[in-house]
Amino acid sequence: MTGTIERPAPVRDRVLMKGNEAIAEAAIQAGCDAYFGYPITPQAELLEWMARRMPQEGRVFVQAESEIAAITMGLGAAAAGARVMVSSSGPGISLMAEGMSYLAGSELPLVLVNIMRGGPGLGSIGPSQSDYFQATRGHGHGDYRVPVLAPSSIEEAVTLVADAFEIAERYRTPVILLADGLLGQAMEPVRPAFRAVPRAAADWTVGGAAGRPPRTVRSLHLEPEALEAHNQHLQRKYREIERAETRWAAEMLDDAEIAVVAYGTAARVARTAVERVRADGMAAGLFRPISLWPFPTAALRDLAPRLRGILVVELSAGQMIEDVRLAVEGRVPVFFHGRTGGMVPSPGAVARELARVWALTEPRPTARLEEARTAAAQVMAGAERSEAGPRTGQPAVDAAIWQERHAPMKDATR
Amino acid sequence: MSVAPITGARGGRAGDVGIPGSQLQVARVEISPSPFVPLAIAIDHCKGCGLCVTACPPGVLALEPQAVNRLGYHPVRLVDPAGCTSCVRCARVCPDAVFTIWARPREA
Amino acid sequence: MTEAVAVPRLLFDRPASLIDRATHYCPGCGHGIVHRLIAELVDELALADRTIAVAPVGCAVFAYDYLAFDWVEAPHGRAPAVATGIRRVRPEAFVLTYQGDGDLAAIGTAEIVHAAARGERITAVFVNNGVYGMTGGQMAPTTLLGQHTTSTPAGRDPITTGFPLPISEMLAIVPGSDYVARGSVVDPGSIGKLKAMLRRAFEVQLGGGRFSLVEVLSTCPVGWGMTPTEAVDHLSVVAETYPLGVILDRAKGIGAGAAPGRAGEG
Repeated sequence: MTGTIERPAPVRDRVLMKGNEAIAEAAIQAGCDAYFGYPITPQAELLEWMARRMPQEGRVFVQAESEIAAITMGLGAAAAGARVMVSSSGPGISLMAEGMSYLAGSELPLVLVNIMRGGPGLGSIGPSQSDYFQATRGHGHGDYRVPVLAPSSIEEAVTLVADAFEIAERYRTPVILLADGLLGQAMEPVRPAFRAVPRAAADWTVGGAAGRPPRTVRSLHLEPEALEAHNQHLQRKYREIERAETRWAAEMLDDAEIAVVAYGTAARVARTAVERVRADGMAAGLFRPISLWPFPTAALRDLAPRLRGILVVELSAGQMIEDVRLAVEGRVPVFFHGRTGGMVPSPGAVARELARVWALTEPRPTARLEEARTAAAQVMAGAERSEAGPRTGQPAVDAAIWQERHAPMKDATR
Repeated sequence: MSVAPITGARGGRAGDVGIPGSQLQVARVEISPSPFVPLAIAIDHCKGCGLCVTACPPGVLALEPQAVNRLGYHPVRLVDPAGCTSCVRCARVCPDAVFTIWARPREA
Repeated sequence: MTEAVAVPRLLFDRPASLIDRATHYCPGCGHGIVHRLIAELVDELALADRTIAVAPVGCAVFAYDYLAFDWVEAPHGRAPAVATGIRRVRPEAFVLTYQGDGDLAAIGTAEIVHAAARGERITAVFVNNGVYGMTGGQMAPTTLLGQHTTSTPAGRDPITTGFPLPISEMLAIVPGSDYVARGSVVDPGSIGKLKAMLRRAFEVQLGGGRFSLVEVLSTCPVGWGMTPTEAVDHLSVVAETYPLGVILDRAKGIGAGAAPGRAGEG
């Protein structure tokens, strides 16, 4: 079956869906009450799907006059108890920074979809992952975090939309679904496992103070003591989210000595590259974060001692790599391969980088670490530069150190 | 500015929340006391803006130069109760809703 | 001859929806009067249980501490968008926005224009005191020519800062607007007329009408460097730039663009 779906049937084997439309339909099936948006490439189809389907379901659709208006309409609807989705891409998401800060400070649930495009500025309409910092570092002003979920397939996006609404309402927080233009525009067979998300009673929404004291939804707390108490409450909430909502996928890592860390579209490319190098005898694997905040720091930290090299692959100049470096705490060298501007890394390029990482981190027979470092630096200086720019050079591991680290576990006959 | 939370009440004639030991003066009553005085003034809400003094046609209101209320202002006082005609103009211009006004009962 | 002893008739009291607490507004600030009028109307029309109001950023950010119904705090200028979100998901509510001149006519220009353009069933209360009060008295879009503010210390000069913005007149020609009026707190009579305008705006919304707005020429004694009485007198000067009256009442055929019905509307 091809083409756009008029009305998805309750259950079908597989349906060909465009990413943007699948995300929109997943929201509708999850019980989204209201959608507010503004056209921007590459997510206009999400808005258009909502424009057609929301009125069919008797729900609210508004194309706002700007992304600022869209996020603040979302704020109003969420305060009034509605389940809300807003979507945009980089330039529009930047306009929503203040609104997201207000949503976080007012503790309002809302799902914001960012179909990332090339930046900075007007950039390009090709896919990117260059909004990672923006999404995971709060994006707006003030001390707050926002859960960020990153699908790497359209089918996973469908699942994560429902999860996003659940997390948003369980913790009273905005949630970002971070995808990219490739996922948004691609069409893939999707098991339409749309899921309705149940509603919990809310004792904080506004709707007319009949039979109860009036309520105010606000983020202003002028007295420092009061605002500090509110911030501590928010931080406790974020610690709870870190404990309960961290997600990642471990692929082919059981015997891996090197691993790619990548999310979203980069992870799909990396998966193919990993499979290729494994066929050539390199023990490589893929660690795929699904929640970018909370970042799967503990899982990656636990994995690091078993590895001799990590390759981070991103459609950016290197943003998630900082979280990877923080997680591994210097235990393992971290390399990088990335493309910017809407370019997508190819599996071949990633496979070549993996082979290079494999070679560079090969335990060397020299007993002196200084000699090893010099040798590695010479290799790095003469090495072919990837199009992403200079790699992060790391000294090769001293063989004695390596064997000491791996003696109990490593099969000496490998 | 710290404001005490009002729990449950929807405004109305609950009266001021007092500070123990303060010189809080509030006259907010359901029925005006005898002998008849047409006005009650919530003295500790008054900010001494003087708009009522200007608006009063018979000029029976004045700010108290010797008194300072809880907010630090010179509050208004009805200096000539007999001259008040209950026209309600003071209450209309008052930004702080300090006035309660009754009609003077006709004598038979 | 006996004197008839009657319980004196109560003529005026604080309305129930106006919470009984001292406000943070400066002495003589017009916000207090507008708050009270809104509370009176909400009580008279029995709206307190259905009202959801949207607070601005400005001196009236604390309106939710003074008026006893549900409130949502909006980012600066975005009250009409927040109100749109509320109105669309709460069809039964009475939705009110409360904004100052910076909130509505500077940073929020797009939002108020498009709320009117969509004909949103909300009532906007626009308190115009010609300065940015909360931040210390800077120029606003509605500051008068020659007016001294902290960011126009030599007086507002049209060459560098342009002219006062007639935002209400602009909104009145938007087809989605049903009622636009301008009142003042200059004296008790005007306050009475202002209340009638607010009542009419509320009734437009309650009757299923579209966007309604009441602008209030209000005072900022501290921002203007005047006593409250001087500030009130100054409103007569303000009214020369911003004339009082009903600018649009579509149902009654008043105002430019007030043709019966709208093009394309049944």
